[in-house]
Amino acid sequence: MENQKATLKDYGYRDFTTLNKIYKILKKVFVVAIVLGLYISIIVIAIQSINESRNLSIFTRVSFQWYANILQEEELMQAIRNTFLVSAIATVLATFLGTFFAIGLYALSKKVRVLWMLLNNVPILNADIVTGFSLMLMFRLLMVVFPNIFGLFTLVMAHLFFTIPYVILSVMPKLKETDPNLMDAAMDLGVRPYKALIKVVIPAIKAGIFSGMLLALTMSIDDFAISYFTTGAGFDNLSIWIYAVIGRRNLTPSVYAFSTLLTIFTLVGLLTYQFLQKQKKGKKNEKNNFSDIAS
Amino acid sequence: MKRIILATLLLSLTIVLSACNSRPKLRLLNWGEYINDEVVEKFEAETGIDLIISVADSNELFYQKINSKTTAFDLVIPSDYMIEKMVKENMLIELDYSKLPNRGTVTYMDGVNQIFDSMTQTTLARSQKAVDYTDYAVPYFWGTFGIIYNNRVEGLEEALNEHGWDVYFEADTYFPTARRGMYDVPQFAYAAAMMYMGNNPNDYSATLLQEVETVIENADFVEWGDDTLKRNVESDNLDMAFVYTGDYLDRLYIQLDEGKTLAEVQADFDLYVPDTTMVFIDCMVIPNTATNIDGAHQFINFLLNPVNAALNAEVVGYAVAYQEAFDQIISYLDSADVTKHNWATANSIYYNMEAESTFYPLTTLHPDDIDAINTMVQNVITG
Amino acid sequence: MNKEFKVLAVPYKVWLSILVFIPILAMLFISFSNLSSSVSVGELTLSLAHFKLLWESSTIIAFRNSLIFAVATTLISFVLGYFIAYEIKLSKFKNKFILLTFVILPMWSNLILRTESLANIMSENNILKNILGFNLFGNISGTWMAVLFGLVFTYMPFMILSVYTALEKIDFALEEAALDLGLRPIKKFWKVVFPLSFKGVVTGAIMVFLPTLAGFAIPKILSRGRIVFIGNIIEQKFIYTNYNHGALLAVVILFFILGSILLITKFDKEGETLL
Repeated sequence: MENQKATLKDYGYRDFTTLNKIYKILKKVFVVAIVLGLYISIIVIAIQSINESRNLSIFTRVSFQWYANILQEEELMQAIRNTFLVSAIATVLATFLGTFFAIGLYALSKKVRVLWMLLNNVPILNADIVTGFSLMLMFRLLMVVFPNIFGLFTLVMAHLFFTIPYVILSVMPKLKETDPNLMDAAMDLGVRPYKALIKVVIPAIKAGIFSGMLLALTMSIDDFAISYFTTGAGFDNLSIWIYAVIGRRNLTPSVYAFSTLLTIFTLVGLLTYQFLQKQKKGKKNEKNNFSDIAS
Repeated sequence: MKRIILATLLLSLTIVLSACNSRPKLRLLNWGEYINDEVVEKFEAETGIDLIISVADSNELFYQKINSKTTAFDLVIPSDYMIEKMVKENMLIELDYSKLPNRGTVTYMDGVNQIFDSMTQTTLARSQKAVDYTDYAVPYFWGTFGIIYNNRVEGLEEALNEHGWDVYFEADTYFPTARRGMYDVPQFAYAAAMMYMGNNPNDYSATLLQEVETVIENADFVEWGDDTLKRNVESDNLDMAFVYTGDYLDRLYIQLDEGKTLAEVQADFDLYVPDTTMVFIDCMVIPNTATNIDGAHQFINFLLNPVNAALNAEVVGYAVAYQEAFDQIISYLDSADVTKHNWATANSIYYNMEAESTFYPLTTLHPDDIDAINTMVQNVITG
Repeated sequence: MNKEFKVLAVPYKVWLSILVFIPILAMLFISFSNLSSSVSVGELTLSLAHFKLLWESSTIIAFRNSLIFAVATTLISFVLGYFIAYEIKLSKFKNKFILLTFVILPMWSNLILRTESLANIMSENNILKNILGFNLFGNISGTWMAVLFGLVFTYMPFMILSVYTALEKIDFALEEAALDLGLRPIKKFWKVVFPLSFKGVVTGAIMVFLPTLAGFAIPKILSRGRIVFIGNIIEQKFIYTNYNHGALLAVVILFFILGSILLITKFDKEGETLL
């Protein structure tokens, strides 16, 4: 080490490049280590899903019986269906509503807007269990008029409550980046305001809408505490089901199988998408970022 | 984008509509995976009622679900102390035994009757009211609590059989290096310590609480868990834990299914049931928010059939509550079917209730006392 | 933007007012009163009786644990997350969206499943040891290291996303100008890139800090029930229907949240770039 330091001083430039090389290798090691850290639990779940034994600490033999078994686990299947149903509806509605709410908020004067944007942060930042309990109390007030309200409806409402803010927060910065003359130009050409909104503004903020949608889905699909308090009538999602089962009984390894399938399908989907995009490229050669993937 | 939205809305609409068929529904609030799917199918086929199951993982959550009235559940399966609380707060309706003809065909196990008696006694002592809990509840499963232990630890089995609770709680004297675990339900920890001290686990006073605190501190628990306790003992990551007997049988059945023999499993980990221990009973009760009371009775009556009760017990590691169903399971001791034989053996060893033992069901303490116990346990954990 | 679109925000204003304001007021009331299921309307009184909970040693330690772990998690996620976000920004891989989705993908699996599998492989005898023959994590199950690891790698994707969003906005011309001025890469980073991305760091820090502070599942599972966070106590209070105590603790946490919202507005006058 001492030697190296001396040479570094003498022949600065050459040693700088070797240092650079070491730095680059170290960087790669670091990236791999961090990604491994992010994925280690996913990898372990995958291992558990192909383990023939239900024992979580001993690997006996590779087997795909738990995958074949998913369809037979009725309670699990029901929970999975419910999860997808709620997340799909909530994500689409949140994206749609959130976008227009964001445009509405953007049209407000700056002072008023700041106030509402502060309130908009509360659902994101509040503790889940508190949000869930508060929402249950509020929805209960509606029961006077609609006695059978608890279930899919309240669950979707609750998910909208904490997903819309994410969409608004992703869309708002993009709205600020759009050229204010864009709308005026369109309207000068005789386009009605709402038509201009859809034809001109929405395409310009597509990237924000898309990342908002991604975040909304991520938050919605794995929510437990808020869903727990706001569901009803037997409409349990996967998180609620998993929580209930681990308390007193054993989770069927089919849950691991489902989780692994979800990850694999998404990964394969992403790679296919990337492949198709590459095929389509060729003509288009501009900078590829958020705005491209949404197009 | 528009098309995606439209497709999703249409899809959800069809699913919602398809769920709205005309068959009568019965809403059951149950523990997770606490019913055999075959039982559900059989019940639905016999009665034409759709069984809709919600799940939760604690009696307290059951209480909250019923109390919040967000869903009109027709049937709930809470445990003993929660039934007391629900009866006290007028949350349950009395059963109509004329709609339960099968009740005459089954005898409750002795232990089950003892629990009902004990619940009545407690209520009488506390509020001078004579309540017969069978008026409200029909047993679903029941079971004891025991200490699951790691048999790979030399001498632990012998020590437990000789000194019982002392081995579990006196970490200074017995096996100082053993890793002890406790359920993360404060009242369980309190009750276990009380039984070790030779008290009734349902007594409470501020001085007792202090003594219990010292006892729990001395036990030096390395884990406060739930289902993780049994799995950690099974995989040699923990040496002793106070758990439901059903917890042990769960893991036992799984190992037997995978081809191990009973002796092999017991050599790895086994269960010790102290002479004085806690018991619990889960009962079917009808909350007064129920809308399909007839259907609820039909379901109870269906499970009062010993054949159906035994079928239900096939996948659940707890003890059947009816003598006839228990006898049917024990009769498989002579069966050539390995699974059935193992099932019968396990039941005859771990649910043999003829031994001279004292069983205590938990009762609901005053909310302030529960709060004090919760805080005491939190204080011990945070040290 | 056309003022005509103001009406679009009206439904959301109503929605937020009802679902955010009223519950907060209710919480405040519950934490200052003796309201409970056994108290009738006539007997309602306001009192500070519940506040003695705040001096209970377990409450104080739980708050301390939550704070220490939240700060540590945020700092570590910042260092590691910034690094990854920067690498994504520099990467030659064109479609950045795929990389970001790859980062966030683990969050689509159930939190409990992920945390339990982490707890499994951190204990002495586990499935990875059974396969590999050695212990990847040593035997850290139940320790603070296990909890910290779990928290960092669960919430870091938030940091990566927000930092990347900030980095993406930085004009490459600026960087080139800096290099032209003769700045060394490291200096360039500190003088130009980092200050410009600081807003993203603040956002990311808050998005990591808050769920850690109020969370309960990860510490409970990974510490084997031995490290108590304030979220665990709130959960217990709510489950045992002690809403007065639960609401009180929730209000205290809300103060932290308001504090951090103020922090956002300090760095971003419009409070609009949480993401």
